[in-house]
Amino acid sequence: MNNPYRPIETEVLEVIPETPTIKTLRLKPKEEISFKAGQFIELSIPGVGEGPFTPSSRSSVKEELHVSIMKVGKVTERVHQLKEGDIVGLRGPFGNGYPLDEFKGKDVLVVGGGCGFAPLRSLMYSFFEMSGELKSLYFRGGCRTSKEMVFKDETAEWAKRKDLNLRLTVDKGDETWKGHVGLVTTILDDVKIHYPEGIAIVCGPPIMMKFATLKLLEMGFQDKNIYLSMEKNMSCGIGKCGHCRLDVYYACKHGPVFRYDKIKHLKEIWD
Amino acid sequence: MMTSQKILKKAKFSDFIKLLSDDYEVYVPVKKGNHRYLKKYAGNVDEIVIGEVRPVEPLKAFFSRAREVVAHGFKNDVPRPDNKPYAIIGVKACDLKGFKIQDFVFANSDEQDPFYARNRAENLIVSADCTCAIDTCFCLALGIQPFPEENFDINLSQIEDGFVVQAGSDKGRALVEKNPSLFENASDGQVRARDQQRSRVRGLVETNIKEHEVPHQDRFKDIIKNSESALWEEESRTCVECGACNTICPTCHCFLLYDQKVGESTQRFRIWDSCMIKDFARVAGGGNPRPKLWMRLRNRFEKKFDYFPRVSGVYACTGCGRCISACPAEIDIRKVLKKLVDNK
Repeated sequence: MNNPYRPIETEVLEVIPETPTIKTLRLKPKEEISFKAGQFIELSIPGVGEGPFTPSSRSSVKEELHVSIMKVGKVTERVHQLKEGDIVGLRGPFGNGYPLDEFKGKDVLVVGGGCGFAPLRSLMYSFFEMSGELKSLYFRGGCRTSKEMVFKDETAEWAKRKDLNLRLTVDKGDETWKGHVGLVTTILDDVKIHYPEGIAIVCGPPIMMKFATLKLLEMGFQDKNIYLSMEKNMSCGIGKCGHCRLDVYYACKHGPVFRYDKIKHLKEIWD
Repeated sequence: MMTSQKILKKAKFSDFIKLLSDDYEVYVPVKKGNHRYLKKYAGNVDEIVIGEVRPVEPLKAFFSRAREVVAHGFKNDVPRPDNKPYAIIGVKACDLKGFKIQDFVFANSDEQDPFYARNRAENLIVSADCTCAIDTCFCLALGIQPFPEENFDINLSQIEDGFVVQAGSDKGRALVEKNPSLFENASDGQVRARDQQRSRVRGLVETNIKEHEVPHQDRFKDIIKNSESALWEEESRTCVECGACNTICPTCHCFLLYDQKVGESTQRFRIWDSCMIKDFARVAGGGNPRPKLWMRLRNRFEKKFDYFPRVSGVYACTGCGRCISACPAEIDIRKVLKKLVDNK
């Protein structure tokens, strides 16, 4: 019988520092883990604990997967001490990814905030692989400061792509930042699409998701076209341990990506 | 069904328990003072009290343990404790209703829990009719009779000269059929005695329900949705977040996974968890959807009286009354339900 709680032995191939608080792990599981953008995995430090993370790498690459992890608690503290060659555990993938097929032929706006860039990078890779199948693709990203901006080199490359319209912003500017200063909601107005038909995908800290969603609705996006990635306390990953329940949903099973019209009436979604 | 009208004579009872102990680790109900609890059978049948009411500890403990190893390092297997399967004797109808929830969560979904599924397949349930009611019993309000109707292997209804026996599963039927020396055909009088006792105990529970003004589940629809926060603030005022209501509840199923180093190797455990504890839904980043105690109390009721009926068609309460006895803050689920129904 399959044991859903058993982690798969996984080697750390490389640890890439991204910002003072975010590191990317390149991981090679000893058994294949195949995920779709937006799905999450449970990563554990043997004997220490486990936490939910969404891969930030290309879902089409089966040999390894990357997770970009912010240092916020007990497990992530230990994650940040990992070195090349260390062994960790992986379970998953869990939940639903983004319904990519439903986005074909549509204008898509991706809005990211802070560590929300990580899952969105995986999604952007999927979109790049579907290049030509989307009507248009916009990325709007915001971080608190330039120092905290993740994947800077990569987003600089993305900026050159013809199939993507990209803008980044920081909440607080400094001498190292040449771009726009202000919340991510201040760089959405130049997105030139017919909003009621457009798809919006938001991932970031809860407060950012809340205000971005309100802004998108005000712009004319329909609630059924807004996709949110809910950060809940996912643990077992299979809808049993009870921690990530959101009304009749379990974020680990029915999410973590939710359409806004399915959850907008619920309390607790932004907390 | 032939096996539905058998009797296990008092004189044969100890043979029956001994027979079970060949294949099972047998847990039997005993009574000390006013407490009924389960005890591992070790040869003494005289102290066994089959009737009465539910024991202090909930049945779920034999199906998902309070603490158990769910993984050894990266080893791809389903760890197995070295005990024989359990035979639990004298299980009451309120505990059996717990299976409706536990099965829904652990056994009936697309991803089965292998530990629970194994215990469910291997353990034996010898249930029994209640022969009395205690003050906190209110099963009838939740649509449950004080005698088992489903989810048992064998049921024993205690009457004067023994137990009327009913098999409730293939496993139970096989046990009765393979051991003809233990069971005799029951007389009409014996079956009548069982039925009379059942209606007598029903009467006792009905009296309880009237006395405490416990509303019937037919009136539970939307009680949480329409509830005011003031009610929850008032009800949670004395709560000390001990989680006793969760651990003692036959339907509560939430658990916590945690990893531990054991010598050179690592083990993953799961332990029962409590939604009343502040960190239950908190995320590592600091966000907490239910930072206030009253929100967590409301959430507990919401899970039982809104979530489960919506997803599984059953209220996740069995009327066993354990949470009333266990709560040091004297939070009484019957009173909360009454307020919710009255305020609707």
